[in-house]
Amino acid sequence: MKYSHAALILSGLMLGGCIQPRAADVTGAGSQLEIRQMQSREYDTLDKKMTMRAAIATLQDLGFVIDTADIDLGTITATRLDRLTMRMTVTVRDSDGKRVSVRVNARVGDTAVKDQATYQDFFVNLDKAMFLVLNKVD
Amino acid sequence: MRLTESSLEVRSMQTRTYTARSENQILAAAVAVIQDMEYNLDAIEKPLGVLTASKISDADSGKEKAGLLMLDLLCVAGGSGNCNAMSSASDDQRIVMTMVVLPSLGGKDEYVARVTLQRIVFDKQDRVNLKEAIVDPLVYQQIFENLSKSLFLQANTEP
Repeated sequence: MKYSHAALILSGLMLGGCIQPRAADVTGAGSQLEIRQMQSREYDTLDKKMTMRAAIATLQDLGFVIDTADIDLGTITATRLDRLTMRMTVTVRDSDGKRVSVRVNARVGDTAVKDQATYQDFFVNLDKAMFLVLNKVD
Repeated sequence: MRLTESSLEVRSMQTRTYTARSENQILAAAVAVIQDMEYNLDAIEKPLGVLTASKISDADSGKEKAGLLMLDLLCVAGGSGNCNAMSSASDDQRIVMTMVVLPSLGGKDEYVARVTLQRIVFDKQDRVNLKEAIVDPLVYQQIFENLSKSLFLQANTEP
């Protein structure tokens, strides 16, 4: 009887060791260079501030609300509530004085978006918004 | 996951152009209107004209509760022991608003305001019942009318 109790406790402890949440995904997965290429574009049409203005308009066009924006750091974070919740961070920085680099990364729920089409959709709309800003159309 | 652009109709519903003396004046009027509508400001980035605000308000609906009560009654009458449809009734909702107010690229002394709204509705057990963008034109119309009034008050009460 004593032995069976001990076995039960021991197996409980062993099982407890197995039932653990998945290890924290701290560093993400995938090729750093590939991800960067998919998520980035360079522009030489507008300055940083106007590019950020176009990026905010793009996010609003795509149904996002803006959570935070910081002109000094060039960051914008936005959320889109739908059947799934998407969070997007856009960073805009001066690349070499003349060019502005835009990078965007998105997550849907607990998963990073790795679908190239999502980023293409964003940049197609950003291109349009930048064209409108360049031509002074609100 | 594809991202679809909102229609021209939605965009024009969310956008209004105002005339104001200065960027500060219209931003102050926008902040005041956000407070008038009982939101808390979460973040402001003045150079980009971005104002983000949110509030938690009641989402309790008599109609919805009557429907769920009926479901529970039918469930009990059917002899089932686990009748708890009422717990999925909407309780609170978190509404998030972004208002972007920027000088117009076209006209002098003109400012363009664009508002986007979303909400998350929680049930009695704090589970998410609904997540959606708010696209009711009347809501946006009311917000822009409030901003017009706020601008008027601002212009007439400040030196």
